[in-house]
Amino acid sequence: MTVSVKTQTLPPIKKLRNIPREEMYVPGHRTCAGCGPALQYRLVAKAAGPNTILLGPTGCMYVANASYLCTPYHVPWIHTQITNGGAVASGVEAAYQALIRKGKWEGELPNIIVMAGDGGSSDIGLQAMSALMYRGHDVLFVCYDNESYANTGIQTSPTTPYGSNTTFTPPGKAVPEGKKLFPKDVPQLVIGGHPAVKYVATASVAYPLDLMNKVRKALNFRGPTFLHIHAPCPKGWKFEESKTIEMARLAIQTGMWSLYEWENGEYKYQHKPREYKPVGEYMKHQKRFAHLTEEHIAKMQAFVDARVKAPGVPVNLPAPGPREQA
Amino acid sequence: MAKEMTLSGCAAAAQAVKMAKVDVISSYPIRPYTAAMMELSKMVANGELDAEFVHGEGEHAQLAIVYGASAAGARVFTGSSGVGVTYAFENYSPISGGRLPVQMMIADRALDPPGDFGSEHTDVMSARDQGWIMGWAENPQEAFDNHLINYRIGEDRRVMLPQFVCQDGYFVSHIPGKVLLPDQAQVDEFLPPYSPGNHVLDPKKPFSHGPQIRPDQGAIMDLQRGQAFLDLPQVIEEVIDSYNRIMGRSYSPWLEQFMTDDAELVFFIQGAHAATARHAIRHLRQKGVKVGLVKLRFVRPWPTQQVGEVLSRFKAVGVIETSTSYGNATRGGNLLPEVRTSLYDVPTRPLTTSFMAGLGGDVIPLEEFYWMAQKLGEAVKAGKVEKHVYWAGLEN
Amino acid sequence: MFNIPKDRTVPFGCVTPAPVEEQPMMITGNWREFRPVIDQEKCNLCMNCVTWCPDACWQLDASEEEVVWNAKYCKGCLICVNECSTEALGKAYELDFPDGVVRLEKPF
Repeated sequence: MTVSVKTQTLPPIKKLRNIPREEMYVPGHRTCAGCGPALQYRLVAKAAGPNTILLGPTGCMYVANASYLCTPYHVPWIHTQITNGGAVASGVEAAYQALIRKGKWEGELPNIIVMAGDGGSSDIGLQAMSALMYRGHDVLFVCYDNESYANTGIQTSPTTPYGSNTTFTPPGKAVPEGKKLFPKDVPQLVIGGHPAVKYVATASVAYPLDLMNKVRKALNFRGPTFLHIHAPCPKGWKFEESKTIEMARLAIQTGMWSLYEWENGEYKYQHKPREYKPVGEYMKHQKRFAHLTEEHIAKMQAFVDARVKAPGVPVNLPAPGPREQA
Repeated sequence: MAKEMTLSGCAAAAQAVKMAKVDVISSYPIRPYTAAMMELSKMVANGELDAEFVHGEGEHAQLAIVYGASAAGARVFTGSSGVGVTYAFENYSPISGGRLPVQMMIADRALDPPGDFGSEHTDVMSARDQGWIMGWAENPQEAFDNHLINYRIGEDRRVMLPQFVCQDGYFVSHIPGKVLLPDQAQVDEFLPPYSPGNHVLDPKKPFSHGPQIRPDQGAIMDLQRGQAFLDLPQVIEEVIDSYNRIMGRSYSPWLEQFMTDDAELVFFIQGAHAATARHAIRHLRQKGVKVGLVKLRFVRPWPTQQVGEVLSRFKAVGVIETSTSYGNATRGGNLLPEVRTSLYDVPTRPLTTSFMAGLGGDVIPLEEFYWMAQKLGEAVKAGKVEKHVYWAGLEN
Repeated sequence: MFNIPKDRTVPFGCVTPAPVEEQPMMITGNWREFRPVIDQEKCNLCMNCVTWCPDACWQLDASEEEVVWNAKYCKGCLICVNECSTEALGKAYELDFPDGVVRLEKPF
C-alpha cells in the first residue's frame, strides 16, 4: 500500500564553493552565539532544499529557534512534542503518500526531516523514532547531539559523556565524577534491529561537506534513514563560543566522535585519524570536565580506546555500570 | 444504495469512516475499540478504502501520527479505550489548539487500576477540558451517524476542532444493532472532501506551525478555542439539520426527550443505558409514575441553555453518572455539576440528585431504575433531596 | 466583544508566516560585544566563514568576488575569525564603531 513517490535525487556537493546559496534556515533566531545545533540545522536545511517539511520536537532547536511567534524556517515546519517527533513525521509522510496517490496534491514527495535532540531521539523520543524506522516511512530522522537536555538548562541525557558536569549530575563528595553512566550508542540502536533502514550515518559540523552530502544521500533513499550529528554546545560544555568547530574537530581527533556510514550492512569510515590524540586534549577545553581526576580521565580513555576499534559496531566496552562502580 | 445491516458499534464506526473516505488511519489495539480497526484494516487490505493504515506503536503515537497527517491536509481517524485514552493525553491540547479536526473514536472503558474491560465514561471524560468536541452514541445507528456528523462539524472553517466520538464499550461497541446505511452519494452530499485552507504543511506555501509564545500571549491563544466553542453550537445545529434532511433522520442536536410531556421526574443520561431507562420508564408509567428521560447528545459543547430550559419543567431530575470525578463538588460524577450550573439562573429549578450507575461495565438493571425513580419521588414529597450522590445498587 | 492588545495577538492556530530571507522579529545584531572585521586583500574565498556561521552572516556578494558581513544579525561568536584560513578576519570591539550596537533596553 505504501509506495514512495520520490523520484528526485539530490546530487552530492563537491566543494564548499558549490554549496547552494539559498538559506532554508535564515538569520534571526535566538540560539546562543556559536551554537553547534543551529549550524548543523542550517547545513541540513540547505542540503535538503526547498521541497522540504521540517519537524521540530521540543528542545533547543524548537524553543531557541521559535521564540517568539517567529521562526527561521524558510520551508514548512511544525512543532511536535519531544516524545513524538518520529510519530508526527510518520503521519505527515502517510498523509502525503495518500494525498499524492489520490491526486489531491501534485508534486514530488517532499523531504520530511525530523530535527530531534539527543533526548528526543534516544531517550523520551526513542519509542517514536524506532517505530518510524520499523514502519519504513520515507523520512530522514536527524539527531543533533549536544550531549545534554540543553534547552532546559543542561541536564544529563543518554548521550552525555561519562564524567560530565550537568545540573542533574553535579560532582560532589559522594559522586566525584559527576556523571557515572556511560552513554548510549545511538546509531547502534537504529542499526541493530530495523529491517527497513538501509542507511545510518554520523556527521559533524567540523566536516560540513561530509555532513551535507550525507544528508542528501539519506534523502535519496526511499525509506527511513538516520543521521547522528555532533553539534558542540558552548553553553552546556562550557567552552568559548568561537571554538565550536575546534571542539568538533578535536572530538574526532581524539576518538570521542567517529564519522562513519552504515549502508546495507557495511561500515565505511570517514576522516579516521591514523593516530588518536589523548582524550585529555579534548576534555581540557571544556569546563564540564574540569572536576575530573586522572583516574576518571583514564576511564574515559579506556572506553574510547575500546570503542574506536570498531565504531558503530557492538563491542565489549569497559563501561562499568553504577552498581559495579565503587 | 441505502441498505440496512446488523452491525456492532465498532463495525458501524468503521463503515462511517470508510464512507467518509479518510486518508490516514492510525491503529493500536486495546479492548474494546479494537474491532473497529480490525474492520478498517480489512477494508484497506481488499481495496474498499484507499487510506494509509499506520500501525502506531502506542496510543500516544496514534494521536501524534494523526496530528502530523491532519496538519499535512489529510482527513484522519484514530481511536482508543480506557488507559489508552489517558496515555495519549499529552497530544490532546496540541491537536485542538493547532485547530486540527482529528477524529478519535472512543469505545469507553474503565480506567485502571486494575484491568477492567467494562464500560465507563471516565476515560475520555477526564479529557473534557482539552478543547475537543465530545458526545455519546446510544446504539450502533447513532454511532454510525455521529462519526459522519462530527467530521462535518469539526472540519467546518468556523470550527476546525477535533472530536471524540464516543460509544459505550461492549454495550454499543460489541452488541449488534440495526443500522440503516446511506448510499455513498448521500454521504458525499453531506460531507464534502476535507478542505483545510492555507494552513497546511505544504512546501508550495510554507508556514511555521506552533512557534513559542510569550506568557502574555497565552490567554489570547486560549481565547481562540474559547471563541471557537462560542461559535460552535450554531454550526452543530446547522449540521444536524443538514444530516436529518439528507439522511432522513430526526436527531435533536442537543437533548433527546422521551415521555417528558407530562413528566414530573426525569432521568438525565448519556450513552447506552438510555435504552434500559426507556424500558424502565414504560413500566413505571404503567404503575402511574410520571417519569421521563432526557438524553444528552453532546457533553462538549455543553448545551447550557437547552439543559436549563428543558429541565426546569420537571420537579426532580436524577442524573445518571457513568463516570467518576473524585473529590468534586458533588463527590460524584461529571454531569451533575454541569446540570446544576445550567439550572442556576433559571427561575424555576427542579430538585437534582445523581446516581452513580453503570460504572466498571456493570449493567443498570431495571430494578435500579425503579429504585432511582423511588428516590426521586421521595425527594419531591419531602421537598428536598436526601443527598446529591447515590451509588445505585450499593445502598439500601 | 473582545479587545485584544495589538502586541499580544496570536495568529489562528499559532500558525505564523515562514520568513523569506531573514527573520526580522528576532534581530540579534545587538548581542555582540566584538564584531569580525575583514581584510579583503588577504581573503582567498575559502568559504570557511560562509559555511560555518550558524547565523548565515557571511555571504558571497552578487559578483561572487567578496564575502559580505551581515551586521543586523551577527551575534559576535567569532567562529569565523577562529576558522579563517588566511587571517583575513580579525575581531574588533563593537563600540569602537560609529554604528556600534548597544544592547536594547527592551529586548523584543
